Parts: sequence; structure tokens; C-alpha cells
Amino acid sequence: MPLQFMTMAQNVVEPMQVDAPPEDNDNNEETFYVVENSTLDLEAYANSYTGLAKIYRLIYIVDHCPSLRLEALKIAISYIMTTYNVNLYQVLHQRLADITSSMNVPDVAAPSASQDIPSIDNMWIETRLKKAALKLEKLDNDLKNYKGNSIKESIRRGHDDLGDHYLDCGDLSNALKCYSRSRDYCTSSKHVVNMCLNVIKVSVYLQNWSHVLSYVAKAEGTPDFSESQAKESNPVIFSKLRCAAGLAELATRKYKQAAKHFLQASLDHCDFPELLSPGNVAIYGGLCALATFDRPELQKHVVNNGSFKPFLELEPALRDAILKFYESKYAACLRLLDDMKDALLLDLYLAPHVPALYAQIRSRALVQYFSPYMSADLHRMAQAFGRTVPALEDELMRLILDGQIQARIDSHNKVLYARDADQRGATFERGLVVGKEQVRRARMLVLRAAVLRSRISVQSPPREQGEGTQSQMQPVSSVTRN
Amino acid sequence: MASALEQFVNSVRNLSTHGNLRELYDVVIKSSDVLLKNVQHLDNVLETLDVQQHSLGVLAVLIAKFSVPNASLSDNRFLQTQEFISTCNVEQVRSAPDLFAELCHLFTNYLVETKSPIRGIALLKQAIMRLKYLSENQLTSIHADLCQLCLLSKCFKPALQILDVDIVSICQEIPHANANSSQFDAKYFLLYYYYGGQIYLALKNLDRALYFFEVALSTPAHAVSHIMLEAYKKFILVSLLLHGKVQQIPKYSSKVVLRFIKPLSQPYNDLTNAFVNNNVTEMNNVISKHTEAFTRDRNLGLVKQVSSVLYKKNIQRLTKTFLTLSLTDVASRVGLPGPEDAEKHILDMIDNGQIYATINQKDGMVVFSDEPDKYSGPGVLKALEEELALCMEFDNRILAMDEEIQVNPQYVKKSAGLQEEEQPSKSTYAL
Repeated sequence: MPLQFMTMAQNVVEPMQVDAPPEDNDNNEETFYVVENSTLDLEAYANSYTGLAKIYRLIYIVDHCPSLRLEALKIAISYIMTTYNVNLYQVLHQRLADITSSMNVPDVAAPSASQDIPSIDNMWIETRLKKAALKLEKLDNDLKNYKGNSIKESIRRGHDDLGDHYLDCGDLSNALKCYSRSRDYCTSSKHVVNMCLNVIKVSVYLQNWSHVLSYVAKAEGTPDFSESQAKESNPVIFSKLRCAAGLAELATRKYKQAAKHFLQASLDHCDFPELLSPGNVAIYGGLCALATFDRPELQKHVVNNGSFKPFLELEPALRDAILKFYESKYAACLRLLDDMKDALLLDLYLAPHVPALYAQIRSRALVQYFSPYMSADLHRMAQAFGRTVPALEDELMRLILDGQIQARIDSHNKVLYARDADQRGATFERGLVVGKEQVRRARMLVLRAAVLRSRISVQSPPREQGEGTQSQMQPVSSVTRN
Repeated sequence: MASALEQFVNSVRNLSTHGNLRELYDVVIKSSDVLLKNVQHLDNVLETLDVQQHSLGVLAVLIAKFSVPNASLSDNRFLQTQEFISTCNVEQVRSAPDLFAELCHLFTNYLVETKSPIRGIALLKQAIMRLKYLSENQLTSIHADLCQLCLLSKCFKPALQILDVDIVSICQEIPHANANSSQFDAKYFLLYYYYGGQIYLALKNLDRALYFFEVALSTPAHAVSHIMLEAYKKFILVSLLLHGKVQQIPKYSSKVVLRFIKPLSQPYNDLTNAFVNNNVTEMNNVISKHTEAFTRDRNLGLVKQVSSVLYKKNIQRLTKTFLTLSLTDVASRVGLPGPEDAEKHILDMIDNGQIYATINQKDGMVVFSDEPDKYSGPGVLKALEEELALCMEFDNRILAMDEEIQVNPQYVKKSAGLQEEEQPSKSTYAL
């Protein structure tokens, strides 16, 4: 890929200089967590994305992983120099300066690290700004011309180009505007789908998930692109839409839906580095499936799913974890998942959901572990799940109260006993409750009929003066009664 | 005696003997000004009228007597009212429910002002019963007065006989109501259900109290009523006490409730959230934070009950999940300060039959056992049959109401006009 090549090249060419403005105190971004040591291969990771996706992901790593911070920033900066995104360039340099200044003081012993830190290139900024303005003007003029000629196709392209340019400059809201404007000039369904994809891309960057979903629906609703044929005729677009939808569902915590979407993607046609890497699809899909699918579903849609298998091959650790889970070797599965956790926590989209997903996977594992037993020793169970006994008790208690496990804990002897529910008693109880409720409702209904018949209703104050005024009003007119 | 008064007495006598109640009612209404102007002679007027025969006239005079501000004459009003209520002519009085209700309101206010509410309880109850409002399951605004007196005098039992009846109709108390305005003051309706709820609450009949508050809450409304607001607050608390969560507000309740009343009861919503999450510390925080609001609403006692119920609820949750548990664990899981408190709570609950457990003091363990089979034996069957009968009775009543509507000419006309092709008389309820 030429882009990547350029980044490498620039990385080397960058002037080496340590010159940090004395400003410091990076505003504590690691407010919620920090990943201390990650085994992430940063370059390979960065190479699997392009465009803003790459930058955003790198920034996320900068925010959450101090050990990779410097390198991530360097890659991000060298990449940003291939775009027109001057703003972000400055921001990144600011961050870099903050980090180096805070690092240099204690870290004198590591001169090599501070050797190749790129300095801010004001010349570049100026020329880029100029170029961007020029290009913008040119595109704008072009668009005006097209509009003058009123050739639909050209106008559409003009809008798209303008949108691309805005995106390149990092002006997302304008990019979104341009892309959606081109909608009026779409002449074929292909164009509509294209427009939708553009909008989806920008919306993902903006993290406007409801927008993503609605445009996925729109793209799928285009004639000539109904879902049934899409898989065969347009596999790339189909995969892309599924992944975008999956991402949106994941972000809105609908894990099961997300899993279903991701599982429909196919690896051969999964090529959209500006959104997700195939590895991401595997992990997102796999984890969501693990967290929400029951055993038969897991078997049918994941383990025996031919099109998703290649994805899993990309992430052998996850594949093993899923297989271990399926083989009921929960300890091994959970261990594998724990090993992966650090890497997952550096993922822009997945990180906020990792705790929730892991908790769900654990509960699912607990439920499945216990399902064949009448009684289970808590000590052994705790061992299998790598927990202390009291922690396990807490977890089990929650599951029992949720109704996911039918059991009770003998805390004295540390044994979990399955409980056979008292169906007869429960039925009686339910019957009586329903009966009471029915009587209550009927009572309320009769009363309400009476209320409505006499038109009782709370009115605003002038009418609600109370009996005093009314009694004085009464003598005014004579009435016929009954 | 002034001539206007003489005229009043004469027409009352004439019309009463002829039994012309409608005209008599008009005369009585029209003469209220005259009576008010001649307060000092009213006792004389009363002497010329017979309570039995000229009930409406006496009624009017009594109203006038109560309406006069700070009457300086010797206060025989209580006795006169008592005599009137116990001996009046039921038929006559029933033809003027508005006047009678007014008398009762005035009488109630008088008792409240003289700080002797307990004196009126028996009398108002007698009034409701004598006028057959009770046997006809009809609601009047006198009901609200009675409840008010009971609450004020903290004497609840007498009201129960009235409250336990399910209202099926409402007395038409605002006489010249046209077709679109209400025929009964919503204020008294709300008051009755609010006061009634409080009485049941005081007697620990939570289920019924909740029902009363719910009725008050779901009254049709176009404006926010303070009574509804207070009812809502109590509704939340009672609901938490009884069910451990806030019951759904009926769908047909007016939008006012959701839009205005809910935001106005923020402390209660906070409390609910803490309660539903079984979070003892959070709830104590909420309580201490909003103590002032709760005290102002005079709900602090209820709030305290709610907080003690949360411990019980948490213990009950433990019985579902544990077979044995040490007292220390119970205390820490429930949020009690120490094992002694836990033991006390558990003991209480065992006594009340809320949980089934035994405490092993040697090891400091609690053994939770299953509930014994409650549903066996003829007693259960009997209870079940009674419930069934009750359900069926209500069902029949509603079916009867449904039929009544279906044979209503107006309804038939309307539904036939609306859906000519469909069967017009299709019962929606019977389905």
C-alpha cells in the first residue's frame, strides 16, 4: 500500500530534535484506566487501518497505554502529514511535546527514546493550509460549474470530491454535509449505496450510531440492492454494511444484534481499512457471540460457520477461547480471554464494552458449568473460574436472583445445590396473585366508569374554588331536578 | 318577625304538605339571602317548622345559621344539626343532596374550628347510612368529611364501614350541571380517596391504601391538584412498602401526572431508585439528604418504614439464594452494622412468618429452609373458591354494565352509524 510506504519513509526522514516547549501537565487523560504493558505490535496494528480510523485508534492508544504512547504518536504524526488535517497535526504535536517534556525530566537514562522525536514543522503547516485552501477553492468552483451545467452526475461527483477533501482536512461535519447533499443527484442505485457508505463512514468517525444504522437500512433498502441478492452480487458492500451495522449495535450495547451482524461478513470481501480490520470483525463478532449466544446458537453460527471461520483464524487466541468455551473448558477459556484483555482495552470501539462483555461471558460460563450438576463444590468451582470463594458466592447470588441458575448456596459447607422448583406452590401463588389483580382492576374499572359518568375531572383553579363560591352561585338559577 | 321570613315559613309549610318537593327546593334556594339577613330570628323560624315534615326548610335554616360568620347567639347549632340528621325526612333531604352536602361541609368545618372533630363522626356516619348512600354504594362529598373528621380525631375504625364499600356510583351534587361539566366536585372525590388511603395506611391495610391512592392518582385531570401530588408521594412509599417496587401507574391516568407531578416528587424518585437497587447506604444518603422534604410532606414516618423494609427485603433475597449463611455474612450482605442486628431482624421475620429459617447460635449460622407447603388442605380450597366467587361477581357486574351501555339508545345509534358493516352490538368486554 503506497500510503503505508509513505508513512514509513517519513518516519525515517523526520528531523531529529528534542525541543519541547516548556508547557506541560497533560490533562490526566487516563482517568479511567491505563494498560500498562501491552504486547501489541503497534506498526502492524496501525498498518491495518487507513484514514481517520488509524489516527483515532492511535490516539486512543496514546490515551491509554503509556508504554506505547511515544511510538503511537510518532506513527500518527507521520501519517497525518500525508493528509490536510492541520488541526490534528498541531494537536498531536502538542501531545507529543507534553509527553516528551514530562518524560525527559525523570528519564535521562533513556536518551535513545528521545532521539528521533519529530518536531513541529511550521513550514509544513503553512504550505498545507495553503494547499488545502487552494484545493477547496478549486473543488468549489468545479462544483459551481457543474451546477451551472446542471449535469447531475458531475454535481454528485463534485459533492463527493468536496466531501473527500473535507474529510482529508478533518472537517467531519462539513464532509457529512457534502456527502449527504450528493444524495439529491444520485441517478442509480449504485450511487445511492455509495452515498450511504460515505455517510456511514463519516458517521462512524463522529460516533453517531443511530445515523449509521439508519443509513445502513437505507443502503439495504435501495432497489437492486435488497439483502437477498446482495450477498452474491455485491459481497464487498454487503460485508461493509454488516460490519458498520455491527459496530453501531456494539456501540449501543446491543451485543446480540452486533454479533449477528458481524457473523454475516465474509473475509474475502472484507476490505475497508478506513473502518475496521478483519481482525476487529473477528474479535467483535466472536466476543459478542460468546457473550450472548447459547450453546446451540454458538455451534450453529460460530463454530460451524464456514464464512466466519477464516476470520477466527486471524485471531487464534479468540478462536481457541471460543472452542474451549464450547468444549466446556471454562477455566482455559477465561484464562485465554484474560490474556487478550489488555489488547482489547486498547481498542477504540471495544474498550468501553470489554467489562460488560466479559461479565456476560463469565455468567454464561457459570450457568453452563453448573447446568449438569445437582450439587457442586464451591471451592472447585472457584478454582475453575479463578475466583475466591466469596467472590464466586456473590456472582452466583446475582445469577440466582436473576433466575439464571436454579440453585441455592450452602455457605457453611460451601456447596451449591440445584433446587427443584415447587411448581405446584408457585402455580397456586401465581393464580392467587392474578386473581387479586383481576379483582382490583375490576373494582377500579367500575369506579372509573362512575367517575367518567359524572364527569369528574380536576380543572384549573377558577373552577376549583371550593364549595364556598358554588353555594353562592347556586341560588342564581332555578333547576329542574331528577 | 320580618314579613319575608313569614312568607318563607308559609311557603315551606304549604309546599311540604302538598309534597311538591321540586318547587319547595326552588323556594328554599331562593330564600337563602333572606335567611342570612335575619340571622337573629332563625331560631324562632326553626320553632315553627317541624323537622320531620319540613326537612328542607329546616335544612335551609341550618345552612344559614352555619354560614353566618361568628354568630354571637348562643351556640345550639350542634344539637340542632344532630336532631336534624337523626330525625329528618329522608325523602325530602334526598331530593336536595347539594344542600345536605353543604350542611355537612359547614358542620365539619365548624367542628374542625371548635377542635372537636370526634363529636361529628357518628353523626356523619349516621347521615350517610340514613340517606341510604351506603346501601346504594354511592359516593357523596360527605364521605370525604367523615374521613377528615376521623383523621383529625385519630379515630379510624368508624370510617372503615364506609370505606370498605366499593363505590359504584357518585351522587349528583352539583345541581345545574350541564351535559359537559362535572356533577360532583373533583376536590371531594380526591379528598375522599386521599383521606381514605391515609386511614387505611394508619390501620396498616396497605393493599387497600395503595388502591385508594391509585384511584386519586388516576383521576381525570387537566390541571395539577395538590391532593394528587400528595397522593402520588404516598403512592410511591406505600408501593415500595407493599411490593418492593413502584407499581405501574395506570395507563389511563392523565398526562399531568407524568409531566408535572413526577418531576415535583424528586426526593421520592431518588428514594425509589436506591430502594430498587437494594442499596442500603445509598438509601440512607437519600433519606438524610431529603429529610427536610420528607418532614415537610409529613411522610418521614413512612420513609422510615420503607428503609426498614429494605433490610427485610434483602434478607428475603438471601433466603432465595442461600441454604446456610453466617450471621456476619448476613449483616455484611444486607448492610446491617453487626451480626446482632442481623439476628434481631431475622428473628423478627421468622416470628412474622416472612421467612422460614433457624438460627444456630453456636456456630453463628442461619439455616434457611424452604417454605412449608402452604397450598394444601381444604382451607386453601375454600380460600380459592372465595377468590373465584369474588372475581365472578365483579365479572358479572361489569358484564351488566356492558349490557347497560349496549342497550343505551345513544350508544346504539352512534356505533351503528360508525360501523354499519360490522356487527354493532359486538361486546368488547365479553370477548
